[in-house]
Amino acid sequence: MAGMLLSNAERFYIWDGVEENFRSDGRSNKDYRPMELETDVVSSASGSARLRLANTDVLVCVKTEIDTPKSDKPGLGSIEFFVDCSANATPEFEGRGGEQLANRISNLLQRAYHSSQAFNLKQLCIFEGKQCWKLYVDILILECGGNLCDAVSLAVKAALFNTRIPFVKAALMDGGNIDLQLSDDPFDSKRLEVGTAPLLVTLCRMDEENIVDPTAEEETCIAVSIVVGVSGNPALYTSSEDTTPSDHKCTTISMSGNGGILPDAMKIVIAEGITAAKCLDEALGRTLLQERNRTNLQKKDSYGFLK
Amino acid sequence: MPGPELLSSQGLRLDGRRPDELRRIRCKLGVFTQPDGSAYLEQGNTKVLAAVYGPHQAAKSKLSTEGVVVNCQYSMATFSTSERKNRPRGDRKSQEMSLHLRQALSAAIKTELYPRSQIDIYVEVLQADGGAYCASVNAATLALIDAGVPLKAYACACTSSVAWRGNHPEALLDVGHVEEAAGGVCLTVAALPSVDSIALLEMSHRLHMDYFEVVMSRAMQGCKDIEIILDKAVREHLAEGWTKPDVITI
Amino acid sequence: MPLDYRRFNGPEDSVSYKQFSTNFTRSYDELFKGLFDENGKRIDGREFTEARPLYTKTNVISQAKGSAYVELKNTKVVCSVFDPREIVGHQNEYSIYGQIYCEVKFAPFSCPRRRRGLAPDTDERALSANFKTAIQTAIQSTKFRNFQMDVFVYILEHDGACLAAAINAACLALTDAVVPMMDIFSARTAAVINNQIFVDPTEAEENLALMPTDNETNHGIITLTVIDHLRNITDLQQIGSIDADCLIKVIDILLEECAKLMPLFKDLIIDNVFEQYKEHQVYLSIKKQVNEELSNKVKEWTLIVKDK
Repeated sequence: MAGMLLSNAERFYIWDGVEENFRSDGRSNKDYRPMELETDVVSSASGSARLRLANTDVLVCVKTEIDTPKSDKPGLGSIEFFVDCSANATPEFEGRGGEQLANRISNLLQRAYHSSQAFNLKQLCIFEGKQCWKLYVDILILECGGNLCDAVSLAVKAALFNTRIPFVKAALMDGGNIDLQLSDDPFDSKRLEVGTAPLLVTLCRMDEENIVDPTAEEETCIAVSIVVGVSGNPALYTSSEDTTPSDHKCTTISMSGNGGILPDAMKIVIAEGITAAKCLDEALGRTLLQERNRTNLQKKDSYGFLK
Repeated sequence: MPGPELLSSQGLRLDGRRPDELRRIRCKLGVFTQPDGSAYLEQGNTKVLAAVYGPHQAAKSKLSTEGVVVNCQYSMATFSTSERKNRPRGDRKSQEMSLHLRQALSAAIKTELYPRSQIDIYVEVLQADGGAYCASVNAATLALIDAGVPLKAYACACTSSVAWRGNHPEALLDVGHVEEAAGGVCLTVAALPSVDSIALLEMSHRLHMDYFEVVMSRAMQGCKDIEIILDKAVREHLAEGWTKPDVITI
Repeated sequence: MPLDYRRFNGPEDSVSYKQFSTNFTRSYDELFKGLFDENGKRIDGREFTEARPLYTKTNVISQAKGSAYVELKNTKVVCSVFDPREIVGHQNEYSIYGQIYCEVKFAPFSCPRRRRGLAPDTDERALSANFKTAIQTAIQSTKFRNFQMDVFVYILEHDGACLAAAINAACLALTDAVVPMMDIFSARTAAVINNQIFVDPTEAEENLALMPTDNETNHGIITLTVIDHLRNITDLQQIGSIDADCLIKVIDILLEECAKLMPLFKDLIIDNVFEQYKEHQVYLSIKKQVNEELSNKVKEWTLIVKDK
């Protein structure tokens, strides 16, 4: 974040800590900060999740809309990401100040979700060539404490996991037009298959070390960071046994910052990114299943921001 | 004229409240660490986050030697309404709301204490279910208190509407989205109840002068009720807050 | 021209004729088979790991400080670099780094899908952002503090690998504009379809690489930028779904391909320097000649004046 000013002494403190594999908050270079996740926090959306990663706070909501599919892809629905950097996070985002960051993140997500192996748009099809679901994934960034990309991708996956799409009860054909009747009962709905949805992992290169989950202070000391999007394992997101586990594959790689990285180091970064994503995916899958099982038993009390 | 269905024969409203009843208000101060003050407030299904930065040096274009410049931004999340919004801010309605917020909050802040400075108040509506402006004012007041900005009094806002029971008007307190959409009168009052003054008054639709007093006094009563709730929340927060250390970064 | 919709008597609901064209109805496997012949050569006669020949020319735009034109068969790109200018307006803080402003635009006639409007669309904005990360590392921005330098890329024709072509053009345009740089850099793109790597893909290959598939094979597009002798990767963009082994293989191939471009760029730059040196020599000789003539004239005139 641009607003943070660090003196050289502070920078050196961070750099030296990374070299010793002992960061200023006590973590090693490969540790994430604790996270809090809650799904189903906004009742006006089809699915929502709020993730708090130390000081980073994101709220993701999924809204559904009926749309006509593109003529060249008649059997596919569509997914659109919109990122809004709230001025609550920093006064710099007031007005259109956060637009650049917002565009960067929504671009990254759009690219990461592009592949059919990452997110299958076929499940959004209602009537081939005529009607499909369009998912609007709205991401609201409420506080920036570093490592936005990772937090956003986790929250997006959780929100999609939480999304319910109403069943189509009946369809009336009237000439070329189709009149759909949707089920009114909120429980008469299907869930999305989001097991393969990608997670983004930001790896920051500091001297010879790669660190994950940088704090806002650490982000100011980094020359180059690499975002690796890695698809998830669907077996972790369902309690049934019959889904085949799939490999973790790279769905997007993007670099940012003013600096370069040696080819050998790049290969290590990619391998580490995939390992980190694997761990995150496991943790997220476990948490989401736990929460779903709990809410199936009794009605959940939403904590939201009141905790 | 609104339909009679706003009040049932037992005198209950669509969501089961009595005419003089507020929706449940739940709030929390200090939800974020980065802003100088922040608050979350939900009033029924209307949920609002507010953050306060400042007072800090004013931007050159806004600088005033008289007192602090209150800079407000009201934005509604794209998912806050049942129909998805395309833009969170910048449209006519949110710009108007920003101005109204500024109006109400400048009245409450002791502006003369900080000449050449600026206070930024950012309000984010997460869910709008009627009375988003009122919830914003109430949340912003809490955020200002959390930031330690000196206030003259609590700024509280409340809406009221009118329903008909036979020929007898009955004022409805704290209008919900359904009642708002029914097309009746909607009177919005932002007041400083403890000093008995009104900071902002706005009304939509037509109302006969004879009934104005009824509606107005109900709204003022609502503001007073809200003040009690906010005051309690602040006291509770302060009682527990001092024992909790702030998050230490580096 | 405003359209008169009332006179349009077509049916309300229509289906694009393209859905019935042979290309559209063919399956993924058929399309994939159509990209190469039985000898393992691509339809334009290249090997899978063979890049298209690169044609380049510098100093093509007279108004710009430096410019370059790069052609990869049907992909044609022009890049122009303008003088640093002082940052004015809202950003009144002094910055120790120079700013680089990058803009990538598609020409309206560059691809089958008609592009319109002056405002950049999402593709162009994303492309500009990637382009900027790729080139900014090589530029020594501390040499023009508090100044902003503009780099514009205009894609005249798009037939795959336009980001790589744009970055290569930028390298040459920046050297042509004598912008202080760490070193020259180059970029290459590869597409992966059905686990098969296509270096320097055409648009048909890129489209297929991003098409949704039912199988579990690798597919995607990778663009890599590398600084020459530092061997530093300054930008790596990937989209699609590729496993780690394949990714590493592609990176190695791209690094090799990028290295192949370097001697070409160096030759061109050296040629340019020679040419400029020659031009300078010609300029010096002309200057000398003119000076001599002038001094002769002065002598004549002084003689005339003295005579009078």
